[in-house]
Amino acid sequence: MNTSVTSKIRERVAGIEAMPCIPAVFLPLLELLNAPPERVKLEEVVRLVSYDNTIAAQCLRMASSPLFGLAKTPESITGAVISLGLRRVQTILLTCCLGQAFPVKKSVLDPTMFWRHSLGCAMVCRKFSDKLATADGDKSYMAGLLHDLGLMVNCVAFSAEFGLASRRAHQEQIPLDQAERATMGFTHCDTGRALAEKWRLADDIIEVIAHHHDVEHAQKAQSLVALVHLGDLLCRMRGLGYGYYERNKVDLVHDPAWAILMKEHRDLESIDLARFTFELDEAVGEVCELVSMVFGAVPGHN
Amino acid sequence: MNREATWNDGLRSPELAPRFSDAKLPRENVSTQMSTGIHTPNVKLPFNKTTEPSDPIFRQIRDLIYKVSGIFQLEEKLYLLTDGCARRMKQLGVRSPREYRDLLTTHSGREAELRQLLNEITIGETCLFRSQSQLDAMRKVILPELAAEKSNQLVKRLRVWSAGCSTGEESYTLAMNILEETDSQLKDWTIEILATDLNDRSLETAKTGIYGDYALRNTNDYYKQKYLLPLDEKKFQVRPEVKKLVTFSRLNLQDDANMRFMKGMDLIFCCNVLIYFDGRSKSKVIEHFFSDLNFGGYFFLGSSESLLRLNDKFHLVHFPGTIAYWKPSLKSGRL
Repeated sequence: MNTSVTSKIRERVAGIEAMPCIPAVFLPLLELLNAPPERVKLEEVVRLVSYDNTIAAQCLRMASSPLFGLAKTPESITGAVISLGLRRVQTILLTCCLGQAFPVKKSVLDPTMFWRHSLGCAMVCRKFSDKLATADGDKSYMAGLLHDLGLMVNCVAFSAEFGLASRRAHQEQIPLDQAERATMGFTHCDTGRALAEKWRLADDIIEVIAHHHDVEHAQKAQSLVALVHLGDLLCRMRGLGYGYYERNKVDLVHDPAWAILMKEHRDLESIDLARFTFELDEAVGEVCELVSMVFGAVPGHN
Repeated sequence: MNREATWNDGLRSPELAPRFSDAKLPRENVSTQMSTGIHTPNVKLPFNKTTEPSDPIFRQIRDLIYKVSGIFQLEEKLYLLTDGCARRMKQLGVRSPREYRDLLTTHSGREAELRQLLNEITIGETCLFRSQSQLDAMRKVILPELAAEKSNQLVKRLRVWSAGCSTGEESYTLAMNILEETDSQLKDWTIEILATDLNDRSLETAKTGIYGDYALRNTNDYYKQKYLLPLDEKKFQVRPEVKKLVTFSRLNLQDDANMRFMKGMDLIFCCNVLIYFDGRSKSKVIEHFFSDLNFGGYFFLGSSESLLRLNDKFHLVHFPGTIAYWKPSLKSGRL
């Protein structure tokens, strides 16, 4: 991508500051998630969350979803932490925060679809990590959740161009990033990176956002990028894509990302991919339900 | 985790492994189950305390069924399995799921019992247009790919095999969908759909091409009007131009000699048939499918079925909503 396009993106993204967006607690929470676990204090998390009752309430409902494994709704954030662990609750909180981030204009991208895909990808990445002994499930969840941040940027800062790209993807039934490149000359990976850098997100998350469609170009955190790439593809093939038929054949095991992931996680070889796919199908309904529960009532989303 | 590994691992040793030999199955049973979907039996027993799906024993039985048949019972459909177990337990006078699990794993009659349970949870039932995602994959992704691969061949031919075709629903569905493409991407192609089954009675029914409302419940008006003739208020018959594409013949998938003749296939559909085969027979049939397929050809199983890693030459590929096994094309260089 040439420099003029990059600076155009940065310029437009700089303007995003003016938007009513991300809840104030999002970035401090994300920072805490990246800190070594022994340095994170439960009180600190609870204090952050207490600034925003909506988020706390959403978090509690979300914690009771079968996807997170609690049989009944915990009564307090502290209660949720005791049952689920601090890091897991942090990921839930961040999901709720992000849900309030951007009022995505329905005309360009259906917010329900967007959240289903993002949350679906988060879930798939976590489940994928759970199969690999040395992968970090919560980190993978966050990476999956944030990977398409650039689509939100596109909706806000490039709505006209992105509208065209999105229509083209639907009509030609091609992957969205392909349509973006053909129509706008850049993709949500580029715009997502610009916002992620502005927000000073962790380097590995920035890499995921910037390179989940071209894993080989990732400089750092290649295996996390590869994992999200595969999770993203799986979501799009199993009903958690962007709501249109993608004429696509996906050969995960022979995707370059598979080999990259294998370098760090030898046990990838032992995954029964067919069974894993069926197991994910079980989560699809849960994801949809969770999206309507957590994001359904967000102002500007309907 | 460990407990599960122990009792499942037992199945891998030859003398403990259940043998689902097709030869041992009563033929009537096989015929109704061939090429059919897994369907909820009509009898529904009320759950009681001992048969709630939340009992971890049922998940163990689910895993056992997966290991021997490749069928994965989704969590939301676990009640099918629970119901099936409850019926078998009642018939056998077994009181607890744990006791029943032991019957399936350690008892000398475990093979027979597993077969009984499989019959309980898989009632043969099928219809036209059963798997839309497979049809979409064929028309939207695979046919364009095959058309590109065969673009420089003088005579263009598409060969499709519906293996275990039962009463012909799948075979005719494929024919109708392929006919839809003969004005565009399959213009001037020679189309052959081969439909085989072991059961003569099923094949006779298939050849008539007559279906009632129930078999046509997924068939929309467009296809009904274009490809079916109403016989009376409740019955329709497949039109001659559809029938013309399909050749029905009797074939035992375990008959090695005949299986070797099934060459040059582009697509093989074998849905919910192999679940009744034991591991060895299954991998033999799959080996045949692999060599019967052209390079670049695809093999489809039922929607919740998998090959259980019985063959590492096939590539598992995803299409929207469905998976298939691909024999890599020579061009892909991935064989």
